Amino acid sequence: MDFFPVACSRPAARLLRVLPLLLLLAASNVRAQEAPYFVTYDHHLEEPGNLEVETSSTLGIPRSGQRLFFAPYSEIEYGVTGRWTAELYFESQSTSGDSAVFTGWRLESRFRPFKREHWINPVLYLEYEGVNEASRIQKEIVGHSELSTERNDELADTHAHELETKLILSSDRHDWNLAGNFIAEKNLSATEGFEFGYSVGVSRPLARIATGSECHWCRENFNAGVEMYGGLGSTLDLSLHHTAHYIAPVIRWQITNNSSIHFSPAIGLTNVSNPALLRFGYSYEIQAFDRKVARMFGGKP
Amino acid sequence: MSPARIPFWLVLLIAPIVVAQNVNYQQDPNWRAPVEAAEKKNPLANQPELAAGGRKLFLRICIECHGRSGQGVKRNAADLQLPIVQKQSDGALFWKITNGNPDRGMPSFSRLAELQRWQIVLHLRTLKPAESSP
Repeated sequence: MDFFPVACSRPAARLLRVLPLLLLLAASNVRAQEAPYFVTYDHHLEEPGNLEVETSSTLGIPRSGQRLFFAPYSEIEYGVTGRWTAELYFESQSTSGDSAVFTGWRLESRFRPFKREHWINPVLYLEYEGVNEASRIQKEIVGHSELSTERNDELADTHAHELETKLILSSDRHDWNLAGNFIAEKNLSATEGFEFGYSVGVSRPLARIATGSECHWCRENFNAGVEMYGGLGSTLDLSLHHTAHYIAPVIRWQITNNSSIHFSPAIGLTNVSNPALLRFGYSYEIQAFDRKVARMFGGKP
Repeated sequence: MSPARIPFWLVLLIAPIVVAQNVNYQQDPNWRAPVEAAEKKNPLANQPELAAGGRKLFLRICIECHGRSGQGVKRNAADLQLPIVQKQSDGALFWKITNGNPDRGMPSFSRLAELQRWQIVLHLRTLKPAESSP
């Protein structure tokens, strides 16, 4: 299975060879560890004025009769204030033996109602999705699922305008992060009722004490855990019948001050889940983005 | 105004402000650690050698707002050398690192391991108070 044109394979291979080196040279130090989850949100928001750019992908291992798919997506996350983070997503999808299609965009906001850390910290999440039926990034699993065998060009013709809300509950206790999200989604373009889903995650940094010297491979730069997510049916059929569920080990490596990679092999738990989803993400953070832009336009930093 | 036309006396006046302290810093009166948090002792207090790890963390996550020597480079960022900061207990500083003050731009660092936050407190104690501080 080859997703890339043949002409691109050699430069791409060269880039892959030097990519780890470039990542290591990009900066010399590391910022606070973020949770390694792909689907579950914790209560930590983007720092005010910082901009994070992330590119991730979901590789879907098919069941028999289906095809392998590769769904890359990019997100731009900005800390508007200390308690409000906004994000914009663009996503696409390529299926083996089929076509590659743009599958839509999403705009989300997360609000943290309380100033201080508590035993359980709530965050409110609201997202608008302008996506089509070919979307496969699986950033959240809701409602009932079925394994589609339709072609991309047919799926891409069916557009959906969806509103998604999440109640994020998260806690940092003794180096562990515990997070749970309850999801309610409404497709405004169809009479599907409200669809529900969940995700839960637990993670912790691999080292409790920071060493005094700079290092890239030491344990303090790694954060690992596990998350589980799936659908909970809809208002039309509030049952677990035909719902997809996954359990996924997750790990994040903070490579430099500004960049990290995270990886997760998710295992499908039901017969309407994909057998496996392989997720990979790279993020780069521009600190004090607001001040840098202000300086560019001659404003006060 | 081009740099060549700035009077020398003005440079002398401004330079200490630019390179030394965040003189605009005003402590948030509502940002106070609860008594029980302020009374917590640093479990690493008898391991001063771990301050090196705290310094590394400080340079990674705090430098953007507080500057390399903690003097505060961003508006609202505390000058960590000032007595008003240094006289606070270890427990109070730990609480402030843990909770942050999001309405004033200070994020919560509760995602750091607890002992790493205590290491940062160890490092904060090594920051030299500026001679001209009030």
